Amino acid sequence: MIVAEMKPFEEIKEMLGGYSRVLVLGCGSCVTVCLSGGERQSELLASALRMARKIEGNIGEIAQKTILRQCDPEFISQIRNEILQCDAVLSMACGVGVQSLVREFREMPVLPAMNTRFMGMTDGKGTWQEACSGCGECVLAMTGGICPVTTCPKGILNGPCGGNKDGWCEVTPELQCAWVRIYERLKLLNRLDDFKYTIKAKDWTKKQRPGIYRAEK
Amino acid sequence: MAAGVIPPCQAACPILTDVRGYVSAIARNRPEEAIQIVRRVNPFPSVCGRICTRQCQTRCRRGQIDEPISIAALKRFAADTQGNADIVSAARHIYKERIAVVGSGPSGLAAAHDLAILGYKVTVFEARSVLGGLLSEGIPEYRLPRDVVQEEIRRVLSLGIEAKAGQSLGRDFSVEGLMKEYQAVFIALGSQKSLLPKCRGIGMKGILSGVEFLKQVSRGQVSSIGSSVVVIGGGHTAIDAARTSIRLGAGEVTLVYRRTLREMPARSEVMEAEKEGVKFMFLASPVVFEGNQRIEKVRCVKMCLGEPDDSGRCRPTPVDNSEFEIDADTIILAIGYAPDAETLKDSGLVLNRDGTVIANSITGITNLEGVFAAGDVVSGPLSVIDAIASGKRVAMAIHRYLRGFPQKQDEVIPVLSPLDAKTSGLIGKTSREEMPKLPVIERIHSFAEVELGYTTEQAIREAQRCLNCGSGAAVDDKCAACLNCVRICPYGIPEPGKERAEIDINQCQACGICASECPASAIQLQLDTPEAFHAQLADIINVSLQGNPEMLIVGFYCLYGSMSMPPNDSEGIFWLGKPCTGRLNEFQLIAPFEYGADGVAVHVCRDGECRFRAGQQWAARHVERARKILDNTGIGGERLCVFDSGECIPDFKNRLYAFGMNPIRKGRQVNL
Repeated sequence: MIVAEMKPFEEIKEMLGGYSRVLVLGCGSCVTVCLSGGERQSELLASALRMARKIEGNIGEIAQKTILRQCDPEFISQIRNEILQCDAVLSMACGVGVQSLVREFREMPVLPAMNTRFMGMTDGKGTWQEACSGCGECVLAMTGGICPVTTCPKGILNGPCGGNKDGWCEVTPELQCAWVRIYERLKLLNRLDDFKYTIKAKDWTKKQRPGIYRAEK
Repeated sequence: MAAGVIPPCQAACPILTDVRGYVSAIARNRPEEAIQIVRRVNPFPSVCGRICTRQCQTRCRRGQIDEPISIAALKRFAADTQGNADIVSAARHIYKERIAVVGSGPSGLAAAHDLAILGYKVTVFEARSVLGGLLSEGIPEYRLPRDVVQEEIRRVLSLGIEAKAGQSLGRDFSVEGLMKEYQAVFIALGSQKSLLPKCRGIGMKGILSGVEFLKQVSRGQVSSIGSSVVVIGGGHTAIDAARTSIRLGAGEVTLVYRRTLREMPARSEVMEAEKEGVKFMFLASPVVFEGNQRIEKVRCVKMCLGEPDDSGRCRPTPVDNSEFEIDADTIILAIGYAPDAETLKDSGLVLNRDGTVIANSITGITNLEGVFAAGDVVSGPLSVIDAIASGKRVAMAIHRYLRGFPQKQDEVIPVLSPLDAKTSGLIGKTSREEMPKLPVIERIHSFAEVELGYTTEQAIREAQRCLNCGSGAAVDDKCAACLNCVRICPYGIPEPGKERAEIDINQCQACGICASECPASAIQLQLDTPEAFHAQLADIINVSLQGNPEMLIVGFYCLYGSMSMPPNDSEGIFWLGKPCTGRLNEFQLIAPFEYGADGVAVHVCRDGECRFRAGQQWAARHVERARKILDNTGIGGERLCVFDSGECIPDFKNRLYAFGMNPIRKGRQVNL
């Protein structure tokens, strides 16, 4: 899942400075799940913007809407009329959603309310952690299902680096060393032999940007 | 909520009264709303509030935790305190057909009531001079005051129903004759002929039938009853006769019942009867009445209980050589009653051997075209609410018959299942409100009503015990399956489904925490919609802005908190009650400011007092988040405060005065 967080209110307010009629557009998928850009948050942001504008004497209109996914043109087209009636769209989706809107409405300013952070997983307590970098060449089969490319701050493919203290990372001390976790897990699976193999250097051309994926080649 | 699933209390009521609806209205201190809900289906709320058999209470899910809600007492409260509320408007006679109802007991009058509302012209025939059947004469005044009954009858008749009292079927008119003038006839004669035990000496002076005795007392025809009275029977009539005897000055009143307290149909009244001095002799049955023309004593035999009989109760059998005697000046027989077959002898209706009319148990259709029968005359003696239900069913059947619609089949309505042990274990225990009663010493010398009815405070407290079964959260298709609800529900009810979170309506306690925390606004609460909230809020703010107040403060308080009332010392605050303040989300907390309020006070319950599970902690958390948003906007988070005591409110007001007006409102017309 893509995790994104809302930008500081001031930044959003300034971004919208020149636009009178603004549509705050929530996204009903990833950002809803990570509690940052769904229906409730877009209602709140729209209300807060209306209040701030009233105080500053800025007469305009802030509307609010949420669609199921901003990264699909079919869902976007469901609110075509609402979008055409405004001067700018403030998207609460990840960066993908923003650009997807731009592709559909070339003449409409679309502004990001969010900073898109990473692909991550939840701990169930309102915290999400990055877990995958989308490198295009997955090594999880060899690393006990724990990604060193993403969860080791140094991204070391054949670790550990030797800098860990009692199993904790020297770069981010509140994190357990990814390679210690990999070792523990392989031990549990009775596959410590996997440690003997060196993972070959990754082919980073697979990660050449922008990535394009075709379901049928 | 699955369509049409109803709470068990409602399902248990023969007329499917929306119990949850009216109890919840009382809990919100809205008795006028409560009585509307009741009167919509029941023309006799004051009567049922007093003497209903309360089948609803035996099924109440609060009973799984501590004691069932005192549902009848709450209905009585609503009916008694909202006496003048006109709920059902006078009917227009939109159909030309006329309908005759024979018998003015609860079944007959309920049918007349519903038919009049449907738009028919109805005439009710009553053999006696007073309408109401057993309600008027068969139940003593200390349980059901006469004026209460007459007022409810007056209300029914005010729908344009014609009443002909003193007109007796078989004597003054016949069914055949009625059919010439009326297009449908409803026979609701009731069953008032006492059954008598097969004992020698039964014709002696001083031996009375229970119903006859109660009728005579109610007409003022009995002034004394002798010093020792023996009542035979275990139903309500038996206890009514015994308690009435005490009031007439009998020195010794003994009730003889052949089974035990457990099998006794009127066991709920035993404790009060004992307090008044009635003695109970269980497992005994009369054999011979002895005396010299006038009763002197009754010879009884002891009984023991055997295998269960058709009624499910253990069959009593006599114990050998166990006979004994009780001295008695008066014997009152109340072992049961049956319809009077004499009245219907020449009616053309087909009767059972016991005198009951053979009729369809739902539609009341008899062997005669256009003649319907229901109530005790068909079923034998049942409760008042069963009689009302039978009358209502026949009213519909007559309407369908006259309009040529097919008759309705009996339908099965899905009912909420019991609470799981896991859920019920998490619900706090509460104790039931005691019904205030007249002191025994005052009761036994008069026929003044024994149960005095709840005070407003008691009624609200009792109604607040209701679990609002089935009114909980429902997940709509906006659900993003984030599973936040699954993780935070204080009762652990939501579960991850295949496509979205699922909340079991059978178990949800309707605290509303999940709805307040749902990022997709995909959880709806049955009795508390966001639209209603915003409409209410806009209303409050509109009203207060009209007065152009120096300071406009909106307050939220818990409807389950003390007395469903805002805290004291809170003058000048416009209060809105919520069923737990924990369910107020950030959007709802900042909304008053957008409308122009200068401050918002959230009055939460104290620690340990939440009707749900720590709703006040959720309220505090939501307030914290909302304050950050208000800080961002420039309005200032300190204008929003949470309190658990009214004492802090004056301080809050002073602070607000120091902040001045909400900058949104300052010098600008606010458009809502």
